[in-house]
Amino acid sequence: MESTAHLLIGGLPLRLAGGGGVAAAMSLPGMRPFWHRPAAAAEVCLRLDAAWPEADCRWLHRFDFASGKAECCFGVDAEGALVFRFDRYGRLRFDPRRPDEVCLGPIADADLLRYALWTAYALAGLWRGRVPVHASAVVHRGRAVLCLGESGTGKSTHTSLWMKHIEDTWLLNDDSPVLSVEEGAVVAYGSPWSGKTPCYRTERVPVAALLRLEQRPQNSLRRLATVEAFTALQPSCPPVLLHEERLTDRMVDFVGSVVGRVPVFRMGCLPDEAAARLSHDTIFPAQ
Amino acid sequence: MKIDTKTKVRSVSGEHIILGRADGTTDMTRVVGLNESAMELYRRLQGRDFGLDDVVRELTDAYEVDEPTARRDAAEWVEQMRRQHLIMD
Repeated sequence: MESTAHLLIGGLPLRLAGGGGVAAAMSLPGMRPFWHRPAAAAEVCLRLDAAWPEADCRWLHRFDFASGKAECCFGVDAEGALVFRFDRYGRLRFDPRRPDEVCLGPIADADLLRYALWTAYALAGLWRGRVPVHASAVVHRGRAVLCLGESGTGKSTHTSLWMKHIEDTWLLNDDSPVLSVEEGAVVAYGSPWSGKTPCYRTERVPVAALLRLEQRPQNSLRRLATVEAFTALQPSCPPVLLHEERLTDRMVDFVGSVVGRVPVFRMGCLPDEAAARLSHDTIFPAQ
Repeated sequence: MKIDTKTKVRSVSGEHIILGRADGTTDMTRVVGLNESAMELYRRLQGRDFGLDDVVRELTDAYEVDEPTARRDAAEWVEQMRRQHLIMD
């Protein structure tokens, strides 16, 4: 029997349709807060437990999921659709000519189902101007600051320091907030994907700044011009977007429209209070 | 020499960039910004098999610049494009 659930993630109304996969998806940590009662037809359908014939694929990218748990690959099938194979756990298909639907095969493993849903969102979202970005995001006085950086550079540490030392600050998401440009303004949303931190907030917040962090022996901060700002945000977008031209075209347009609208900084920092104060005072100068 | 046919110039907020992967094994990206004259040379020489003299000729053709200056700028452009693996022999 087919079941259905509606979600609103990053401002994008989604319909999950399928068999037992729908209940499995909705029972993943973080999904419940995004459940919603649709006012209109959902823009995108994530079809779970879908079946489609195996087709020859041109594989473009192979990557490892969760330190060896699954060997994944990404490619294009004979019809030009984008295909993911999550090792023996399952697969996903998205045809850019029909961007209102993403098909996922049955996926029994919770970690891989969670990851496949994130991937599905990244693909469908890109066609609607929204991208999950690898970042830790805090909100201060109603505006979001997204800390970007390679894993282990201290994104969460820096946002924790803001929460500890800067009043009126709260965590929006600790791993994968959704960025979007709406009516000329860049906004960030919380999402069901927040890394190890169970922070599943649904708020939509205007973005004050993006901060690319690097560990350094002293604190320093520099605002970036366009090309450098592009270079700062691009690596925080889902890596797969670099591996296929239609995805890359859209990603470049998206990143360009974001960095043309909000200030982007490169910050060398220590894990200390002074670092949080420096970024705060620069982004929110005293009135 | 030839400009790598796999590259594509893209526009970001009015600036021209070329995206290229550092190598096949990582997701790290090289982003090369092109200024106006570098972009002009890219546009004129794309798809052609050219030598340094051709670069010099395109520069003196496009800009009011004397031959020695154009030759120096041309060599610098070729050197930079080579360093970014955007020109192949």
